[in-house]
Amino acid sequence: MKRPAILLAAALLLISFAVISYRVIWLKYPILPPAPAKVWQLSMEAHVKGGEKETSAMIGLPSARRGQLVAEERIHSGTLNFTLLREGANRIGVWSGAVGPKDEVIGYSATIQVKPPRPFKNRTPPLEPYPPNVGEKDQAFIRRLVAKWDPLPPADRLRRVAAAMRGFWGIPPPEDQDLRAWEAFRDKHGRMTAFLVLLRAAGLPARTVEGLPLTESITGSTQTWIEVWTGQEWESLQPERGEIYQPPVPLLLLTTTGLPVIRVINGELSEARWTLNRGIISQWRMQFDRIMRSDRLLDRWSLFRLPEEFQKTFRILILVPIGALMICLLRNIVGFPTFGVFLPVLMALAFRNTGLAYGLGIFWGVVLIGYVVRRWIDKLRLLLVPRLSVILTLVIICITLFALLGNKLGLREFMAVGLLPFVILTMTIERFFVITEESGAREALRTAAGSAGVAVITYGILELEPLQLTFFVYPELLFAVAAVQVLLGRYTGYRLSELLRFRKFWRSS
Amino acid sequence: MILKPFRWLRDVGVLGMNRRNAEYILRFNPRSSFPLVDDKLKTKQLAEAYQIPTPPLYRVIKHHGEMARFEEMLGDYQDFVVKPARGTGGSGIVLVTGRTEGGFINQSGEVIPMKDLAYHISDILSGIYSLEGLEDRAFLEALVHPDTAFDAVTYRGVPDIRIIVYRGVPVMSMVRLPTRVSDGKANLHRGAVGVGINMGNGTTLSGVYRSAVVTHHPDTKEPVAGIQVRHWESILLIAARAVDMINLDFLGVDLVIDRDRGPLLLELNARPGLQIQVANQTGLLKRLESVDKAPREIFATPEIRVAWVLETFATPVSN
Repeated sequence: MKRPAILLAAALLLISFAVISYRVIWLKYPILPPAPAKVWQLSMEAHVKGGEKETSAMIGLPSARRGQLVAEERIHSGTLNFTLLREGANRIGVWSGAVGPKDEVIGYSATIQVKPPRPFKNRTPPLEPYPPNVGEKDQAFIRRLVAKWDPLPPADRLRRVAAAMRGFWGIPPPEDQDLRAWEAFRDKHGRMTAFLVLLRAAGLPARTVEGLPLTESITGSTQTWIEVWTGQEWESLQPERGEIYQPPVPLLLLTTTGLPVIRVINGELSEARWTLNRGIISQWRMQFDRIMRSDRLLDRWSLFRLPEEFQKTFRILILVPIGALMICLLRNIVGFPTFGVFLPVLMALAFRNTGLAYGLGIFWGVVLIGYVVRRWIDKLRLLLVPRLSVILTLVIICITLFALLGNKLGLREFMAVGLLPFVILTMTIERFFVITEESGAREALRTAAGSAGVAVITYGILELEPLQLTFFVYPELLFAVAAVQVLLGRYTGYRLSELLRFRKFWRSS
Repeated sequence: MILKPFRWLRDVGVLGMNRRNAEYILRFNPRSSFPLVDDKLKTKQLAEAYQIPTPPLYRVIKHHGEMARFEEMLGDYQDFVVKPARGTGGSGIVLVTGRTEGGFINQSGEVIPMKDLAYHISDILSGIYSLEGLEDRAFLEALVHPDTAFDAVTYRGVPDIRIIVYRGVPVMSMVRLPTRVSDGKANLHRGAVGVGINMGNGTTLSGVYRSAVVTHHPDTKEPVAGIQVRHWESILLIAARAVDMINLDFLGVDLVIDRDRGPLLLELNARPGLQIQVANQTGLLKRLESVDKAPREIFATPEIRVAWVLETFATPVSN
């Protein structure tokens, strides 16, 4: 008799263990949930003014790249259509459509996690040609200025070039006339172009990028800076002063390769505003991001792929079997008396909304009020079903009163009582009354206390966030839970409470 | 440390709730037979078919509508018992010992007005006392006039005898004596006294009241031990035969001894309680195991089984 049950439990454990192993070994799941990380909340808002024709606003959006994760993107597009385009390495959000006489407000928000990038192998980007408006004579001249640094490695060459932008040409300095010619060139083309030409001449791939400084800020405009490839990675430079940003680079990239962040066709954009706030990303989001980026079968079938509003439900739902397991333990091994089998689980679920203290208080309150009324109703000789209906109505009235009282007192917990399992409360009142009548108040209170105790323990388990996360990431753990439940189903030993019940035996022996 | 008491319980052969459920009820009592024992009327009809005596049935009430003619239905029955067919643990049972103007007298001498009893029967029909709250039937049967042997240790009501029958072999028994607390009911959880019986000769041993071992009845203060249960062999025979009429190998058989009619089968229980072990100060497990070890011949007829029991389970006198 015991053998099939043990085999079943072993099989269930094996399934659970195999799927978890697969996730950990092949899909590289973390065994321990990762620590929460710091993130940035970016939001952009702008007003689009349009004309007769269809208006398109193209705005550079942050993209996932090395050392940068983008999650929880939300688009506000009003009556406009939104599409996402890729232009080279850029992600461009395009809001398009006919803008009416009134402005159209568009918006975008995202959570961005900036992580220190891991070293990686990458192809050296090709050297771009000189800007078209720089003549061959100027090219040759500037090439001559930087030629002396050619033997240096790229990173050192960059440092020399950057210093030159700040006016330090090293020893020996160039001829005075060369310096004057350089200054003239710089003033004619602007510091940005001059800098790019200088870098090009030094054989360093460079590009201008646009984005936002990573500080808590609200700003109406983006910044432009230069990124230079130094053989291993892009280094960022402040173009005006030629300063090199030390990693981690305090900048959030929106567009690269000189593409402006904002482009509007047939219209204009006003009151563009970017907001950056620091935040802490929960462990949930981090799992979510990892899994959403994967196309492995198990990841595509992950609970994280559910719409977010349903995920919340499943975070809890998936722990309910553990609650049931607790009830198995407490009833069959300890010997707690409870009302019904699953009342405590439902109570525990309700406690999540009301909080433990209020939840218990309201539970006892409703049961006692119900009991008093039930005693009194007994004299009316109501038939069973109408009588239960009356008690149900009473329970609903109590809950409504609690909610109204909570509203007056500003206690949210009282208003959450609507989620108490009212049908179960009704049956509890009836059972409480019947047990009081048949076996006395002591027995009834003992059972009520047992139910409340089991509910509290179950609540404690449902509220363990690491446990929620673990089960959400590894739902196959439910098989392991089922295995333990099967084993408990075959536990034929004594209950702890039976030590007390049969104490006469072991005392005498 | 905590395991030691467990070992003791095991050594004494106490049957625990989990083992009772998993190893005996789930294993020996097929679910399909439960409706027959959960419904007292069905049990009664079955017993009649097997010529096992039960208290005579007076009336069956199936519908609320019949209550209009309740008084007429009663005829001139002066005393009777009202029972829900599917009641558990003695709930919903009302003993009527006599009638007065427009009412009834219960075993405590209180007057129950007619409308109260009608209301009670309506309750029964609505299923308030039934196992799953299902609609139920009520029935009236003859009030048992208990054997005088237990008069000294009974506080009103009717004492009854519970016998655990395993694979057709009666293995343990007790007599359940109503107390003031139990309000005439013979159910231990309501406060009746359970008194173990020596299976070998039908004399009573010590008792259990609430969860304490007692030697005297809490109300009458008379000693509960040493009372000879009359008709002991025929009681055992009824218990042993019960298994022939129903496919349940772990069964609680409840009987009463009527001073005129002798032992009568009251009801069967597919989930007999474990407190009987405290009343007998003996674990059930040992007896169940000795039945399992018994030679196959003893299972042939109820008579042989009873003979085997009288010989095997006699409690030593010294105890």
